[in-house]
Order: sequence, then structure tokens, then C-alpha cells
Amino acid sequence: MGTTASQLPKDLLSEYQELTFLTKQEILLAHKRFSELVAKEERSSNSLRVPMEKILTMPELKSNPFRKRICHVFSTSDMKDGSLTFEDFLDLLSAFSDSATLEIKSHYAFRIFDFDDDGTLDCRDLENLVNCLTGETDDTRLTPEEMRQLINNILEESDIDKDGTVNLSEFQHVISRSPDFVSSFKIVL
Amino acid sequence: MDWNGIQRPGSVMGGHSYPGPQESLRLRRRPSNVADQSSPQFNWNPDQNGDETGPDLKALPLPMALKKSMRQVQQMKIPIVSRWQSWRMHKSKKLKGFRDGAGGALAYVALWRRVLHKIGGNFGGGVQSYFLFLRFLVVLNFLSFLLIASFVLIPSIVFQSQSFGNNNEVNISAGKEECTIYDPNPQGLVHFYTYFIDLLTGTGFMEYSYLFYGYYNNTVEIGNDFSYNIPLAYLLTAGFYFIFCLFCIVIRTGGAIRIAVKTGGKAVGGYSMLVFTGWDYGLQGGRAMQLKQNSIRYQLQVELEEERIKLKAASLTLAQIIGLYSLRAFLNLVVLTLIGAAFYGIFLATEFSQGYTGTDFLSLVVEYLPSIVITVANFLVPFLCDQIALLERHTPSTTVILALLRAVFLRLVSLGVLLFTLWSQITCRTVERGTCQLCGYNHALYPCWETRVGQEMYKLAMFDFITVIAVMILVEFPRRMVVDNCSWKLVKFVGRQEFVVPQNVLGLVYGQTVVWVGALFCPLLPVINTVKFIIIFYCKRITLFTNYRPANRTFRSTSSNIFFLVVLLFGWIMSCMTLIYSVAVIHPSMSCGPFRSLTMMWSVVPDSFYSLSDTTQDFLRYIGSQAFSVPLFTIACVALAYVAAMASVYGQSVSLLRAQLKLEGRDKKFLVKQIEELSSVSKSRGEDF
Repeated sequence: MGTTASQLPKDLLSEYQELTFLTKQEILLAHKRFSELVAKEERSSNSLRVPMEKILTMPELKSNPFRKRICHVFSTSDMKDGSLTFEDFLDLLSAFSDSATLEIKSHYAFRIFDFDDDGTLDCRDLENLVNCLTGETDDTRLTPEEMRQLINNILEESDIDKDGTVNLSEFQHVISRSPDFVSSFKIVL
Repeated sequence: MDWNGIQRPGSVMGGHSYPGPQESLRLRRRPSNVADQSSPQFNWNPDQNGDETGPDLKALPLPMALKKSMRQVQQMKIPIVSRWQSWRMHKSKKLKGFRDGAGGALAYVALWRRVLHKIGGNFGGGVQSYFLFLRFLVVLNFLSFLLIASFVLIPSIVFQSQSFGNNNEVNISAGKEECTIYDPNPQGLVHFYTYFIDLLTGTGFMEYSYLFYGYYNNTVEIGNDFSYNIPLAYLLTAGFYFIFCLFCIVIRTGGAIRIAVKTGGKAVGGYSMLVFTGWDYGLQGGRAMQLKQNSIRYQLQVELEEERIKLKAASLTLAQIIGLYSLRAFLNLVVLTLIGAAFYGIFLATEFSQGYTGTDFLSLVVEYLPSIVITVANFLVPFLCDQIALLERHTPSTTVILALLRAVFLRLVSLGVLLFTLWSQITCRTVERGTCQLCGYNHALYPCWETRVGQEMYKLAMFDFITVIAVMILVEFPRRMVVDNCSWKLVKFVGRQEFVVPQNVLGLVYGQTVVWVGALFCPLLPVINTVKFIIIFYCKRITLFTNYRPANRTFRSTSSNIFFLVVLLFGWIMSCMTLIYSVAVIHPSMSCGPFRSLTMMWSVVPDSFYSLSDTTQDFLRYIGSQAFSVPLFTIACVALAYVAAMASVYGQSVSLLRAQLKLEGRDKKFLVKQIEELSSVSKSRGEDF
């Protein structure tokens, strides 16, 4: 897949258009932004991995508390280091794009929130999640008492089968009732 | 060969696994027979489910490499389909490409796209919803202007310039000549500042222009094969304008309600919603992120607090409950008194300003008195109401809603009071009836009352605009400067302003209602409003980025969107009532306007109806008759019943699915328990041997 530094070949572009929710302009913009992260001499390869640290310098991700989880979820690296290829990057943008379906958005949201990658959101995942939302430092965290009450309430509401964890279908059930999710789960370059 | 989603090796819980990033492709492709509801299903065989295009690869949460290989498989399958199908596929693909392209182009043209994106990124979806609403109103007003311009304004200008309107004379019955006296043009030299005052109040050189009702002629142009009836066009355009606005609002409300219905009330509580969907991924910049984190923490704490309050409230004694309710009743009474006082103030101010005549600078103030009183009341009373609401000890969310409802009530009804006062003066309710006997309206005070009402609305719109600008320059900028450059504790505590979405939206709704009320009497008001809203958009954007900080309380955009639109609908209903009243009841001015020879504006419609050909008349009569309306009504009822039945069926299936989910969970637990028991039994057996 000979990709030049400045532009994508036409057939690849149309393939990406078919496989992602992105428009042509968005893919080109993504390619431009991605190439900026790569050193000039390395730009020729399409399967090049960009380390997570470099990805996280993008202003769109820099201030996101879930930035590391996002990289880990979308990375196809065998090293589990969160590094992204251009195609991974497109997957990311596609899931976060305007036109992506609720289903795919909620699927990826679930994986982002599943900090230990075990397929369910248990108490520890929820605690991590709440800490990300409120800020990690000691004075911004909820008190242990509040945290316990909150997690109990969350499980009470969304753990339909009462097994002590929130699984994907329960999660999607909650998400499907939140009108603002599609508009807030969005990263646009 | 069915490929039913992806199964992780070693995962006990069948229903909720997904491919981890670390797994190799080979493992992921392992076919599995366990039905998996949660992970995406991919059917390798395209014609098995009759869907010849296969699943939408976009919608699969899989890495690109996998999607690519799937696509290859799909493309290999294509020759199986018939020629017709392949043609259809090709066509649908092409159509889709075209639609995507058009959508992209449209997004490029869409007004203020980047700005809105940036606002959403820095201040969150709530503030963005305000600006989206503002954009909707700008577009609505502009389209209305195009409508009015093409049917009323341009024909009027054309006929006026060709001046073959030779049927201008009015057939006035004897003894009513006095009613036709109307001389709006100022006499002699005027001071320069008079122009300024005229510009603000719509009097003087502005009064007799295309801006107001009075200038339009009752020309009926009849050519060889062409006839144009300006009065009829004027009336029908106004009516169509209202219907058009209603249509736009209903469509927008429908979109918002659809989302709200889909999300279905409060079946799932707020905590999980807040935690799972609370983060706004579009936020950029460290400050915005910190503020968002603060706001989420604050909200969580408030909700937890609220729960504790509710628990406490449940354990109140009877005496305490009675005390609380009597306190609330008393405070409601206080609020009602306040609102009543505000209405009385508006009534007095309007009466005074209508009776006053003069041309000096003081007259400007008097002219603007009703607007000033309305604005002050709208500023003061909600402020007091907010303070009172704090005493009522409702839960925080109820407090917000209550304060909003009171503000809405005040806003719209204060406009209503103004109109009522005007109307009662025009129709001589307050003075002795003798003054109205001659012309059917108060000619001495209002030689052309429609223009006067138009001026009143024009002044309200202008004053609303001036207030927004003045508040920005005189309050918001100085406050920001003091807060940023002053290190006093009190000042730091007060801090920068928050952007309060509901109040701002109510301001917009009020402005739009004023325009609707005035549209009949001041046909150019929509275009003035377009310009006004565009300027407000830019001003608000500047002050938002320089003076405001993101709000502590985040704001649920969707549910309140419906609320805003419903309030807008109230405004529409109110202005519609004034339109109907002035068209069908009050005698139009005899000295000006397109309806000067008629006893009421509506008469122009029957008049032109009888001038139609017989077949057209019969057809229209049939449309209006029961023979047409009863079947129409029946069909509408049937359609409604069908939709209602569908809705209830969907609701039932949702609850069924919920029950099924519960059952599956129980099954799963049971199975896991069985596995554990069996394995322990076999283990113990193994030990026995």
C-alpha cells in the first residue's frame, strides 16, 4: 500500500470511505494530522505505529481523562502499548465521528470503561471510571462513603440481572436511553 | 458457514465478551456456535437473510484489517447475485456516495459550523444548544422574510413605481370622512436628533414607509391575463407565515421528542446515565476539562445529597410537613403578588405612554416606557423568584424547573398585558364609548392603529436588542475586568459569570414572540429580527469566550430543547390569537393600509372568493364541506389509532426484552453454579480414586 506523504491513493481512500463513517474530507484531514505526528523520512509506510505518547499530544485527545484507555482500545499492537497505525487511528475517528451509530459508539465506550479488559464493568472499573470523571487527585475525588453510595446506586439502576457487574447489553440499555450520548461521544478533528 | 460474532477463549460468561486488542486475527476468526447477543454478528453468507449488500461494515466494531478482509469476502460473493440485484446494489451505492457528498457539501455551507463546534468544545453541549436554537431562529426569520418579500413587498414596490394603482379611492359612507384623516409626514424643519429618535421609535420618517402596515396600498391589479390583489396577498402571506413557523417548530419538536421518547422517561436512573454518558469527548484544553470534571463531581454530590434530603423528607413528622407546605403556599402567594405587581406596572406604563405626546428627548423615554418596565420586571422578578425558590426547600432540580416556569409565565404574559392594554385603548374599553362610535375604533388617538401596534412591537424588539448590547458592554466586560484584576476575596468568590442557558433562551423566545405579534403590522420585522439575531450571535460569542466561565451545573440539552420549543409554541399561540383577533374582530383603519375600505380584514377573503369562477367556488365549497372533512377526519383517526397501537406494541416488546434479559442472567448464574458443583464433584471423585 504505497502511501505518499501528502495523499492517499484513490482506491485506498474509497475503501476507507466504505469501511468507516468518515467522509472523504475527514479522511484526508486525518491523514494530514497523522502524518504530522510522524517524522518525515518515516512517512512512506502505512503500517507504521505511532507510540501512544505522540498520539496523546494531539489537542483533541490531550485533555481527555480517558485518553490512554482510548489508545489501548483502538490499538492493534501485539505489545499492548497503545500505539496506533493510521488505520487504527481511522477506526478511532470513525467510532467518534458524527455519523457513527449508537451501537458502535456504546460498544467502544464500554471497552474504554472496562479498565481491566475482562468484559464486564465491576466495582473496580466503576471506581476507576468515576475517578476519571471527577479528577484523579485526592481533593477532587469523592469520599469513600460517597463512592460506595454512588456505585451501589449505579449497580441498582443498571445491573438488571443482579450479578454485581454491568455487562455490555446492560450498558447499551442504559446508553440507548441517554439522548445526549451520541452528541457527546464525539471527537472531530 | 455462520460466523456468529467473536468469542474470547477462556471467557466463562458467554454473553459479553469482545475481541481484546491483544488477540491475533486467527483466534478471533474461530467460528463459534454460541449465540452471542452483544457482540456484532456477521453473516458470511450474504443471501441467507435476503440482504444482498451484507451487513454494513462500518458499523462493526472491528479493527480495519479485519474489516478489509471481510470486504474482500463480500466482493467475492457479489457475482452470485442476479443482474437486477447487482444493478440495484450499484445504484444504491452510487446514490449513497452522492448523498454523502451532498451531506458533506451541505455541512460546509451550514451556517457557523466551525464556531458552533468550538463553542461545544469549550462550553459543552448545553451552551451549544442555545446557539443552535439561535441559528434555527435566524434561518426561520430569514425564510419568513423571503416569503413576505416575494408576495407583498416586491409586488407593492412594483405597483407603486408603475403607479397604475388607480383604484386607490376609498368609498366612504357619508359622515365618516373624518376617519380618513391621517398625516404621518412631519411638518417643517426637524432637529437632527429627531432622526435618531425616529429611528429608535419607528415614528417620523420611518412611520410612512414599507416598514409599517400603513404604507401599503389597497391596489388590486387586473391586467389582461393577470390579476394581483395586494390586500389578499397581504393577509394570506401573514397567515401562511404563521403556518410556516408552526410547521418548522413542530418538525423540530418532533425530532427532539423522538429522541426523548426513545430514551423513555426515567426508566434508568440518573447516576448511571451521568457516569456512563456524562463526559463530553469533544472538550479541548486543560481548563475546559477541569471545569467539566468539577461540574460532574458537583453534580454527583448534589444528586447524592438530594437522595439524602429525600430520605430525610420521608421521615418528617406531620407537623413538619404541614409547616413546610404552608411555607411553600405562602411563598407562592408572594411570587404571585410580585408577578401581579409587575403586570400592573406594565399596564400603567402602557396607558401613560400611549396618552403622552411630545417630540423632545423625554418623549423617547416615555415612548420606551413599556419596554423598559417589561425588561426591568423580567430582570427583577425572576431574580427575586430565584431567591424565594431557595427558601422553599425543594430538591435542586425542582427548584430550577420552578424558577424557569415562573420566568416563562412572566415573560409571555407581560407581553400579553401590553397587548391587552393597547387593544382596550384602540377599541375604547377604557374611555367612554362615544369616541369609537364614528369609525369603529379610537380614531382620535390612533388614526392608523395598525401602524401604532407595529411601532410598539418594533420598539420592543429594538429595546430587547439594546438591552442585550448594553448588558454586554456595561455589565459583563467590567465584571470580567474586576474579577480578573482584583484580588479581593469577595470578588474572587463571586467570580466570572456563568452562561445561564434557560434565561438566555427565554430571551430569544420573547424576541421571537414579539416579532410574530408584530409581523402583521410591521411586515419587515422578520428581516430586522434576522439582522438582530445575527448580531446577537456574534456578540454572545465574543462575550462567551471573553467573559464567561462554563457553568457549574451542566445542562441536559435534549430534555430542555423540548421545553424551549414548547415555550416557543406558547409564544406562537399567543401571537396567533392576537392575529386572529385583529383580523376578524377589530375594524381596520380607514385612513391607511391595504384594508382601508373594509369593515374587517377578513372580508377580503370572502370578497375574492365570490369573484372566482363557479367551478373553483364549488370545489372550494366541497373542500370546506362535511362531505370532505368527515372522511378526512375518519382517515386521520384510523392512522392515529394505528400509530398508537404500534407504539404500545413496541413498549411491550421493550418490557419483554427486559424480562428476558433478567431471565438470562438468572440462567447464567444457575449454569455457572452447576459447572462449579460438577467440577467440584469430579475433583473430589478424582481425589477418591
